[in-house]
Amino acid sequence: MIIAERKPMEEIKQVTAPYKKLLLAGCGTCVTVCWAGGEKEVGILASQLRLARGTEGKDHAILEATVERQCEKEMAEELRSKVAEVDAVLSLACGIGVQTMAEIFEDKPIFPALNTTFLGMPEKEGVWVEMCGACGDCFLDRTGSVCPIVRCAKGLLNGPCGGTRKGGKCEIDPQKDCAWVLIHRRLIKQGRLYLMEKYYPPKNFRAVKRPGKIQAIKA
Amino acid sequence: MAFCCEHSAYSAADLAGRLALHCPENLRVIPVPCAGRVDTLHILKAFENGAAAVLVLGCEEGACHHLTGNTRAKERAKHAEVLLKEIGGNGRYVAMSNLSPNAPHKFVTIVDEMNERIKKSGEVR
Amino acid sequence: MEPRIGVFICDCGGSIKNIDFSQAREKAAKIPDVAFVELSSDLCLKEGEQKMSSSLKAKNIDRVVIAACSPESKKHVFQKALESAGLNGHLLSMVNIREQCSWAHEGDITEKALQMVRMGVNKARSLKPIEKEEISVNKDVLVVGGGFSGMSSAIQLSRLGLRTILLERESALGGKNRDLEDLYGLKTSSLIKEIEGNKDIEVLTSSEVVKVEGKVGDFTVRIRRGTEERSRVFGGIVFATGYETGGDSQLKPGAQITSPNGLAYMLQASNLGGKPRIIGFVFDSSDENSRLASVATLNSALTAKQKWDSEVYVFCKNVKVDGEGLESLYREARECGVVFVKFEEKPKISAQDGRVKIEAKDVLVGEGTALECDLLIAEENFLPSQGTETLSSLLNVRTDSRGFYQEENVHLYPVSSERKGIFFVGDCRGDSAPGRVLTDVSSAVTSLYELLGPGKIVVERDKVKVDPQKCRTCLTCLRACPHSAVGLTRVENGREVAEIWDLACDACGICTALCPAKAIEFEGYSDQQILAQIEAIGVS
Repeated sequence: MIIAERKPMEEIKQVTAPYKKLLLAGCGTCVTVCWAGGEKEVGILASQLRLARGTEGKDHAILEATVERQCEKEMAEELRSKVAEVDAVLSLACGIGVQTMAEIFEDKPIFPALNTTFLGMPEKEGVWVEMCGACGDCFLDRTGSVCPIVRCAKGLLNGPCGGTRKGGKCEIDPQKDCAWVLIHRRLIKQGRLYLMEKYYPPKNFRAVKRPGKIQAIKA
Repeated sequence: MAFCCEHSAYSAADLAGRLALHCPENLRVIPVPCAGRVDTLHILKAFENGAAAVLVLGCEEGACHHLTGNTRAKERAKHAEVLLKEIGGNGRYVAMSNLSPNAPHKFVTIVDEMNERIKKSGEVR
Repeated sequence: MEPRIGVFICDCGGSIKNIDFSQAREKAAKIPDVAFVELSSDLCLKEGEQKMSSSLKAKNIDRVVIAACSPESKKHVFQKALESAGLNGHLLSMVNIREQCSWAHEGDITEKALQMVRMGVNKARSLKPIEKEEISVNKDVLVVGGGFSGMSSAIQLSRLGLRTILLERESALGGKNRDLEDLYGLKTSSLIKEIEGNKDIEVLTSSEVVKVEGKVGDFTVRIRRGTEERSRVFGGIVFATGYETGGDSQLKPGAQITSPNGLAYMLQASNLGGKPRIIGFVFDSSDENSRLASVATLNSALTAKQKWDSEVYVFCKNVKVDGEGLESLYREARECGVVFVKFEEKPKISAQDGRVKIEAKDVLVGEGTALECDLLIAEENFLPSQGTETLSSLLNVRTDSRGFYQEENVHLYPVSSERKGIFFVGDCRGDSAPGRVLTDVSSAVTSLYELLGPGKIVVERDKVKVDPQKCRTCLTCLRACPHSAVGLTRVENGREVAEIWDLACDACGICTALCPAKAIEFEGYSDQQILAQIEAIGVS
């Protein structure tokens, strides 16, 4: 799932300042699940902006709407009539949603309200952790299905680095687990520790040519 | 504007009335089943509608009827404060306080203190 | 259809003096959707009720606002009145103009009262009826733990006609008291006999709980017995899993040092080599949780004195006698000649020629004192029983700082837990004197009988409800619910969404506030209703 978080307020206020009428467009998929851009967050940000603009003595026209998935043109299309009413759109979707909106509403500025941060998993209520770097050349078969590329602070393919702390924590951030300790433990459980004795040459991080494009076989 | 948990603060407010402990007249109470029901959005909306301060009042720590409601409310009130600071607070106050249902004096003190804070900033409605 | 709201303003028998009622009536009538306003002074009395009832029918009212006393005192009365007039009791919005308006302020307060009425009307506009529903429940009860409290619970439940499965981890019933009846003065052998003869109690020994799913009236419990695992359904669960003892870390048990439990075994043994002539107890507990230790110490000191006629000295910091019968036990021990020595600093203990020497400073005499004894009884630590941690995370039930069940919460009462239908009794809640164990058992049994006895539970249907169209299945509510009342269900199109179980829900609204998709409606406290009240403060 795509994880995102709200941009700093200053930035949002700055980019939207010239526009009197704004639409706050939420997305009902990933960013709803990670508490960043669902209906609730749209309401909170809208209220904040109204308060901020109220004190600045400006227009109060801030509309709110949330669609199922902003990254689908057909679904973003549902916003057409509301977009027509405003001067600019503040999108609470991931970067994909913002761009999708911009493609179909080309004449309106579409601003991101979120920073799209990583692909992750909910660890517990309200906490998300990065799990996948979308590198295009999955390495998980060799590491007991723990990704060292994003879960190791140094992205080592042949870890650990030697700085692992007591209790299996990372030397860079003692709050986080050392990915290679996790890999070691997992491989022991599976009786595949021999995998750690192998040397892996530097990885081809250009497995996917930018910009990536996949054409599924049409049946 | 005060959101009052029906398990604690609402009863305390009732008791304050029965004891004729006088509250500021500008207090408006919205009963909630638990302080944990109060959403950040409710707090912001109160300000949008002209409130000068929002109080979220729940059970004493460790005695929440719904176990985690009061601690969540505290976090949320703090978050709302951060959100308000982001847009330059401007004399808008949020506070979460804990009290038990049999604490009418504490109820009045909390409301009075908040009222003083508003008065000082000259924003009293 | 536009709602037709009826507003009733009551001056509570004239006790509300600082509101101008005729002005209030006039202004309230101008609020949109208000069909009519009526003044009363005895709304909660029979005459007032009848008058209200006839007005409701005559004016075809479908939402009611009552501005009067606190809903805490009379809401149920007014709800009944609405129901007798053919309206759903939930279509009522109460405005507390007495305690929180008139009585809370001095001088004319009509304006505030009016604004409160406006808030009430705003809320009333979107009220929806809530129907009551009877849900049938399974009446079987699972009791986990075959010790004194577990067995007592099973017996009492069966007397009330609730069938019980009694689960015990060990191979036989009895728990800690099986061999140590004298230590706490609890007679377990008679309980075991009674259970064996009771056809409503099924005993499963050498069994453990592996998994608990579901909600009150419908718990599915996976039980492991040896290598075999199977699931059974229960209406409620009582945990009576007791405690464990761990020795004082500084003193290792040996020939001359033992625990109160060890002493009890010695006292019961028929072929003891020689009776110890001098016995010293060291009992250092001084915190709030030393009841059980006090009982054990007092009982064994007294028994040793009576049975062996040894010299018995108890070195202690404090003896906790706040349990039932403890004070008299203490007196009896003293009268029999047990000597108590009070210390502040921990006594020094050393071994000397096969005997144990205790050196302590007696704070009452103010002098040091030393005792050489044949046997030293060291206190034990009382710990949560093995598996408590696993079980508590399995049940999603919190434990206190020492790891025992049932974090103290004044609202949850002693034995019920945050999950409806799950109870904790006896020493798994931390140590307690035997008297309290019996109280625990009775209150858990009564609550269970109240809950499951009728075979069905009346709930308010869909009071808190997930909109399956809006739910993104982010599991926030499932993780956040303090009462474990949220599960997943498949809707028609095969998608999985959250579902709130009316049976287990305690209506706190934590999920409603957290839901990032705003998919949870809490009738009576919905966003719409709360925001409508907030909006009323902006209008004057």
